[in-house]
Amino acid sequence: MSSKKALITGITGQDGSYLAELLLGKGYEVHGLIRRASTFNTSRLDAIYTDPHFPKHQLFLHYGDLADASNLSRLVGKIQPDEVYNLAAQSHVRVSFDAPEYTADVTATGTVRLLEAIRETGIRPRFYQASSSEMFGLVQEVPQKETTPFYPRSPYGCAKVYSHWITVNYRESYGLHASNGILFNHESPRRGETFVTRKITRAAAHIKLGLQDKLFMGNLDSKRDWGYAKEYVEAMWLMLQQPEGDDYVVATNETHTIRECLDVAFGQVGLDWHKHVEIDPRYYRPAEVDLLIGDYSKAKAKLGWEPKTKFKALIGLMTDADVKLIQEQLAGKVRRQD
Amino acid sequence: MPTALITGITGQDGSYLTEHLLSLGYAVHGVVRRTSTLERSRLRHLYGDPQIYGRSLILHYADLEDPTSLRRILVKVAPDEVYHLAGQSHVGLSFEIAESTVDSVAMGTLRLLEIIRDLPKPPRFFHAASSEIFGRPAQVPQDEATPMVPVNPYGAAKAFAAGLVRIYREKHGLFLVNGILYNHESPRRGENFVTRKICRAAAAISQGRQEFLQLGDTSAQRDWGDARDYVRGMWLALQHPQPEDFIFATGVLHTVQDVVEAAFSVAGLDWQKYVRRDERLLRSQEPFALVGNAAKAERLLGWRPGKDLQALVRWMVEAEL
Repeated sequence: MSSKKALITGITGQDGSYLAELLLGKGYEVHGLIRRASTFNTSRLDAIYTDPHFPKHQLFLHYGDLADASNLSRLVGKIQPDEVYNLAAQSHVRVSFDAPEYTADVTATGTVRLLEAIRETGIRPRFYQASSSEMFGLVQEVPQKETTPFYPRSPYGCAKVYSHWITVNYRESYGLHASNGILFNHESPRRGETFVTRKITRAAAHIKLGLQDKLFMGNLDSKRDWGYAKEYVEAMWLMLQQPEGDDYVVATNETHTIRECLDVAFGQVGLDWHKHVEIDPRYYRPAEVDLLIGDYSKAKAKLGWEPKTKFKALIGLMTDADVKLIQEQLAGKVRRQD
Repeated sequence: MPTALITGITGQDGSYLTEHLLSLGYAVHGVVRRTSTLERSRLRHLYGDPQIYGRSLILHYADLEDPTSLRRILVKVAPDEVYHLAGQSHVGLSFEIAESTVDSVAMGTLRLLEIIRDLPKPPRFFHAASSEIFGRPAQVPQDEATPMVPVNPYGAAKAFAAGLVRIYREKHGLFLVNGILYNHESPRRGENFVTRKICRAAAAISQGRQEFLQLGDTSAQRDWGDARDYVRGMWLALQHPQPEDFIFATGVLHTVQDVVEAAFSVAGLDWQKYVRRDERLLRSQEPFALVGNAAKAERLLGWRPGKDLQALVRWMVEAEL
């Protein structure tokens, strides 16, 4: 039997890289869509290329863009994937206020371009859409579950709501095996450096190693439901192995403040964050979201999925990874890439 | 303090231009795309300096596909000069991702021109056009009057953009300049451009980090200069009393093979042992002899580029070691 083929958009991101590793480990042929940039943008895939454990000859990268419909159509037709994971997006909430039109073009319209490319080619892959807890915004109930009404509070959240419904619509209109994973915040050592958890763990590591003194933060009372990205990509895969497409909340059902994140990260390296953190109102969001906390009981019942790495362990492992990364950079073991 | 806005600031030219303008006392604002990796390696030395970043160097998130954000930034920054360097700039890939290439390169330029037209005090505007607009040129070397005959989607998009710049200059009386730039290289060149690829490989092979190098047709010829000279040309073009188009080129053609031999020689290696031909890397349509006549830039701007390919390649290989 020839191996299954998967197409991942957003393969260079945190989730895309973990998902690629998971699928390669299961014997898939993995195809990834990458945007052209004049700098290297595939650093998160380094593990696949350097770790002999991964069959790197089963990984294929293609230049493309969710803004480029014909290219998407051509790639889908050429690859003939069994599974498509749409993880690509302009995914930074704060930046979506700066560049809302671009965010909508990629995060919302990009999804329908991909679904149209699938419909046009006539192949019937299973489809995963990366929905987001940001769709709940001004929360209508606590905790949130699959039936909780959406009330997005950012251009990013609005765009994700569109992508969520258009995925449901293609499932209902065309019988596509399409699923939405409503993922609450999920972090890892590969999290983008401008996201708050990573910003904190990086800063704790830098300050510990004497490379930095101050950390400027926004609202410390913001709360989130934070899980471990490596476990969340398993839920994505499980959704596409079910007999029918469906929507699932993936979360930890716990909530913690930014303040607690500072406690754990700085505590991990033996520092008191109060001596280093300053508040800068520029980091406040124009509209803050409320208490985001996800009820993952459906995912547990139907997929047999539940989170294993909880908040303290997660922030601890991220801080350790940042300390190790910076030490390797200082020792010259990690080469500059540009 | 004069204020400049640069699109494409994270690229090779953007980073050298930023350094040049900062040294001249400018406040430099840059437009950056959002990415999930913080790969602004070419600006890292400036970005990490609190005396510069946030003071004389300020970055703004936007995208050439997001006109309202561009408008907001231009209104807020109110620059004296705009250097428009952003766009999907890889020729080979422009065949694969044609729609997004044309959208960023051509439509992105038009969006900026439309915004500038509406500003109360329109800035001087430099558009980084490319020798690829000449594609299959009717004359060798090319000058500012040579007709545009692009042969790839990137060249077609740049020709479209350069044409719009001329139209808006004439129709609306704006200070708009096309700099028709021939290939210009540096250690900061994108890694999938041929000179950088060769220089990286020569260094990596000499250090045992790579085994061999696969290349397409090494007889292809180009007019290659030093990127630092070209960003000086951009600035000079906007200081000229009249808005005009300028060719920036060395006027000298070399083959890819010349680069290969120079690079492996710097690395102390015999290229014949390490270079393999790969048919897949051949371009769909190779442009003809693209070599520029920069006499006008020399006469009106006093611009004289370095012409020593050996020195350029040496600089690029040594930066990788």
